[in-house]
Amino acid sequence: METTAHNIEQTFHSIGSSTDWIVMVVYFLFVMFFGSYFGKYNRSTKDFFFGGRRFSWWLIAFSIVATGVGSHSFIKYSAKGFQYGLSSSMTYINDWFFIPFFLFGWLPIIVYTKIRSIPEYFEKRFSPSSRFLATVLILLYMIGYIGIGFLTLGKAAMPMLPQSFSLLGMQIHTSLMGVIIVIAVITGIYITFGGQTAVIFTDLLQGFILLFAGFLLFFLGISYIGGFDTFWHLLPTAWKLPLASFNKPPDFNFVGIFWEDGVAGSVGFLFMNMGLIMRFMATKSVDEGRKAAAFNILFMLPLSAIVVGNAGWLGKAISVAHPEIIPPSTSPDQIFVVVSNIVALPGVFGFIMAALSAALMSTVDTLINASAAIYINDIHRPVKQYFKKKSISQKENDKKELAAARYSSVIITALGVVAVLAFKGFPTVYEAHGYFHSTLTPPLVVAIFLGIFWKRFTPAAVMTTFIGGVALMLLGASHPGILIHPFDHGIHMNAHHPYSYIRALYNLVVCSAVGVSVTLANSKLEQFVKATIKSTSVAYILVGLSTLLFVLIASDFLPLWLLMVLAIILIVLVAIASSYLIDYDPEGQTTGLTVWSVQKAKEAFKGRKINDAEGEKVVVNWKKKDGEDGVINFSKNDMKKMAANVGDLVYISDKRKWLGGLKSIHSVYGEPHEEDGVVYLSNEDLLNGVFEDGKVLEAEKEM
Amino acid sequence: MLTFSDTWLPYIYLYVVGGFFFLVGMIIIRKSGAINLNKKRHRYWYRVLIFGYFYFALMHALLISWALYW
Repeated sequence: METTAHNIEQTFHSIGSSTDWIVMVVYFLFVMFFGSYFGKYNRSTKDFFFGGRRFSWWLIAFSIVATGVGSHSFIKYSAKGFQYGLSSSMTYINDWFFIPFFLFGWLPIIVYTKIRSIPEYFEKRFSPSSRFLATVLILLYMIGYIGIGFLTLGKAAMPMLPQSFSLLGMQIHTSLMGVIIVIAVITGIYITFGGQTAVIFTDLLQGFILLFAGFLLFFLGISYIGGFDTFWHLLPTAWKLPLASFNKPPDFNFVGIFWEDGVAGSVGFLFMNMGLIMRFMATKSVDEGRKAAAFNILFMLPLSAIVVGNAGWLGKAISVAHPEIIPPSTSPDQIFVVVSNIVALPGVFGFIMAALSAALMSTVDTLINASAAIYINDIHRPVKQYFKKKSISQKENDKKELAAARYSSVIITALGVVAVLAFKGFPTVYEAHGYFHSTLTPPLVVAIFLGIFWKRFTPAAVMTTFIGGVALMLLGASHPGILIHPFDHGIHMNAHHPYSYIRALYNLVVCSAVGVSVTLANSKLEQFVKATIKSTSVAYILVGLSTLLFVLIASDFLPLWLLMVLAIILIVLVAIASSYLIDYDPEGQTTGLTVWSVQKAKEAFKGRKINDAEGEKVVVNWKKKDGEDGVINFSKNDMKKMAANVGDLVYISDKRKWLGGLKSIHSVYGEPHEEDGVVYLSNEDLLNGVFEDGKVLEAEKEM
Repeated sequence: MLTFSDTWLPYIYLYVVGGFFFLVGMIIIRKSGAINLNKKRHRYWYRVLIFGYFYFALMHALLISWALYW
């Protein structure tokens, strides 16, 4: 144990025994082997990224636990649990408010429109230019998230490592960045050879292990302290409250965190986090996705809140009873490791640490996989299309894209390591994450949200939200005492990290105000553009002027009042230029892409009218048919039981429920035959479904 | 000494402001037809959504009471 020179926090090194290290290495090798086994289910980029849209809700719900717990990690919640008590759990129990928007708005839209990335939505709904800006912002968001994951992993590993060690006669000092680079290499290897199916199954395993490890730690800790009653009465009353104090202290207050996490974070997580969205898209149907999301938020998140925060609560109780064992000045980001080491035996401690690290790796893996999906969909394919490369077969194209996805995973991993530099100056991971959410999510959250739920929201409005909104956000970041202060709800401004959380409210308000104002002024704007702008070159001059103004605002060397005036001029110029330059079909570009026309998106997905008649599931044996006609054939009686017609969509899977849909396909009903209990499948269907000889299948009409 | 702003004010703010967003969401999905209460499955989901709001509100209220009075 040492006391750092720059602050009074006590930090630890070389915690754990050789038994713990052996347990950790074995655990990691097992997880990597487990993940790579499922790599065989990747036959295309669709499988690599989306797992082939085939899984049951329970499998996805549990696999999300590892992703959610990893990203809202043991380290940061234990730290706040140690500093402030049970209120560390509040961000796990505030996600329900936006769930109606997600379950019946965004989820069906992304599934039925077959959108493969959020930027692609921006192109369909608005324009290619808004897709470009959305790609930039989302990649920044994802890479920032990966950086936070690596930072947390590094902070988790540091207490277990010696301060320095010798290798080939050289004395090497253990540094946070060095540890993070080693972790990034291991993470990159795993994701590169796994893909989404591997991530889903590894996360499923880890979801169970994490819950087990978290509760194991809780029970071990409670018995170490002397029972639940002793634990409860050792905690000061303020530590027992589930919500933080309304507006104090600056590093952990309810109202700031409500806007940062409960609003910007929840919408960001549900609507923008491609890692999570790809999980829901991997479910076999929209209804299964709804079940996975609802079950996760209602039951798994409250349990996860206990799992991730309890080490901090235990640490506080031990520090009250035995300050010589856990000094109250212990570094909050180390409390999880310290408490685990105290309450668990050697080997068990290694297991808990392995579970924690593996969970964090799951989050990072999911995000890397999702960022690679964005790269392929929003950079690789559009660039390839632009240069009009010679046409190649679908199979060859898929192979090339799969390789590009793997290379991009490696590059994104490296960028994630670089992103750590932006966050390592914060006192705790929690504040770094809070600042990150408050700063990067609002423009995208506002743009996606208004795009989905407001038909009138135009491309000019979305472009202005991105550019003008970000300009006003930059001004807020430079002058928080003037611009963010009116929104601070009485929170004291910390000069070193001003308004880490409540800045989310200011950012949301300015982005929404810009987007709503431009939309409401749309008809006048169009009249003005028609009357005044007569050539494209004028519009391009406006784009150039806007760029200049943005740079002036970002460099922040003029008085604030002048910068505000420039920001307003920038907003007007961007709105005019976008209105002139972007071709927009208000009817065509909203149909199926807003909540107001979800049914049409469903019909477009199917390609014909929806058959809503309720049918039953049927159990069938499979037989192979010659040729590839893109349909599968059931008997007339079986189709009647399923209430299906030729051309309807069907989902067929191995009947063994515990497989969770791993061996399954989606297809279309072809012409029926007379053999009841038999389905005819093509060779391609058999390969895609990985169906086994002699195993019974279960089929149901999808729509 | 704990004050109102440490105990019940965050709870009220959470379920009033959060409740406003929730209510707007429920109104939009109904008005847009995204949730169709003529369908049995959608009626089930509508009930789940309402249940979820009160489930969390009750959970928080119990936890605060437990912290203060037990």
